[in-house]
Amino acid sequence: MSTHNVPETFSIPVGPLHVALEEPMYFKIDVQGETVSHIDINAGHAHRGIEYLTTKRSMYQNVVLTERICSLCSNSHPQTFAMAAEKIAGIEVPERGIYLRTVADEMKRVTSHLFNVALLVHLVGYETYFMHMMQVREIGQDMLESIFGNRQDIGAMCIGGVRYDLDDKSIAYIKGALDKIETETKDIIKTFKTNGSILRRTKGVGVLTHADAITCGVVGPVARASGVDYDVRREAPYAAYDRLPLVVHSLTDGDVWSRAMVRLEEILTSIDLLRVCLRDLPGGPVNINDRPDIPPGQAVTRSEAPRGEVIYYLRTNDTPQPERVKWRVPTFMNWDSLRFMLQDAKVADIAMIVNSIDPCLSCTER
Amino acid sequence: MNFLTIFARNLKQGPQTEAFPLGPAFTPERLRGRIEFNAATCEGCRICERVCPANAIRFAKTPDGMTFDCWHNTCVFCGNCEFYCPTDAIHQTNDWDLSHVNADKFDMVEHGLIPNQTCVECGATALNTAPMVKNAKPPLSTEEYAEVRARCPKCRAKYLKNRKVPA
Ligand code: SF4
Ligand code: SF4
Repeated sequence: MSTHNVPETFSIPVGPLHVALEEPMYFKIDVQGETVSHIDINAGHAHRGIEYLTTKRSMYQNVVLTERICSLCSNSHPQTFAMAAEKIAGIEVPERGIYLRTVADEMKRVTSHLFNVALLVHLVGYETYFMHMMQVREIGQDMLESIFGNRQDIGAMCIGGVRYDLDDKSIAYIKGALDKIETETKDIIKTFKTNGSILRRTKGVGVLTHADAITCGVVGPVARASGVDYDVRREAPYAAYDRLPLVVHSLTDGDVWSRAMVRLEEILTSIDLLRVCLRDLPGGPVNINDRPDIPPGQAVTRSEAPRGEVIYYLRTNDTPQPERVKWRVPTFMNWDSLRFMLQDAKVADIAMIVNSIDPCLSCTER
Repeated sequence: MNFLTIFARNLKQGPQTEAFPLGPAFTPERLRGRIEFNAATCEGCRICERVCPANAIRFAKTPDGMTFDCWHNTCVFCGNCEFYCPTDAIHQTNDWDLSHVNADKFDMVEHGLIPNQTCVECGATALNTAPMVKNAKPPLSTEEYAEVRARCPKCRAKYLKNRKVPA
């Protein structure tokens, strides 16, 4: 081997820490100069064995355990799990419970999306605006803490309904908070459409074409930003979504900017849905007020988490513990698309592109 | 909003961060914090122990009665115990300040005792739990409640069966 040959391609490790979120994912990236030529994705740094653990817990304990799979989608997991248990046992959730489930779901979506877009601004390098966006999100976090008692694991779901209720005071409080978030989000959207730094860094970067999106089977805002007009809330309505004026946002460019824009528009839609839910909130019980045994059986349910479609498979037997719980989480589907997004990207854009799929390691590696 | 406007507004409002520990921290009423147990209203049904996903709650039979222990450092503040408790004997306060020095870690326990008593009717030793009479019709008067409570489970059932229910 000649010692004078300077290799044209370098391999650089990105991760397993500090890629976008402080979550462990390892990318082995081959670069030519400043340009990415090939990437290898390596997961498995933080496996927690939660799927196994669920078979050691009773159904009622598992509602709490599944909530802890991911802190940002922490409402979608127990909800989908509870939906599966209800399907097996033939439990009907009362009307008010159905609406309150939607309320919890959409509140979490608002704060989750704000968090991801704020991080994008941070990676763009616009720290001041990042601080501002996190402060806007804080209005939502305070709302979660005041209504549910916790900022992340809101504990809203139970098998047979929800665990919380709203009175006039809390409804007025939520409406006030939503007004604030709405005004701010509209401003953020305006900034995203006009701010030079954000546009230059995010437009045309990390493109996932429609065809590639289909190939990878991406879900959620990542899919919708590439023109895949798909949202579980519309395709297979659960909770109260069949009665709500849901608007599904999709864009065609498939770049980092589009993914952020889809999320920002979805925040406004979520706020609209929340307002309708609070207006139409029926009376009556919020749950079945019982703790029935779940009979043997199996069920598959799905819902639209902030990151996309989450699917649960549940099989029960004669014991209080489930025999098998298996979930397909949204981020798992979205990782692969990074191969396409990062191809020929600039090294400096890697973190931003990774962040744009709203990666969630804690659910991918549960 | 133009960023200069945000800047001006923030200048006027001052820092958004909380002054804690120098000032109070934002603590909503519904915050789900430290567990509190009230032995006087506990029915001893042990549902809380069963639904607790963290196994933070332990009941144990002792010569004095049944002890209740909830380990704050094991508890994940999910609220399952309070939600499924039929009497609100266990509940989450909005006290979130559980910081402590390492040496105190084994003292971070909510402890309670449901004492033994002697049944006024048959003289058997039984737990002085709150009677499960939520569904009794008509509701028990205060005197009746005390009478039921002073009995062992067998005599409680007998008392309730023989209770004169006005037609
Ligand atoms: S605290 Fe509540 S759930 Fe636990 S044993 Fe007592 S009555 Fe039952
Ligand atoms: S709050 Fe949850 S973890 Fe804590 S004691 Fe109650 S059931 Fe157990």
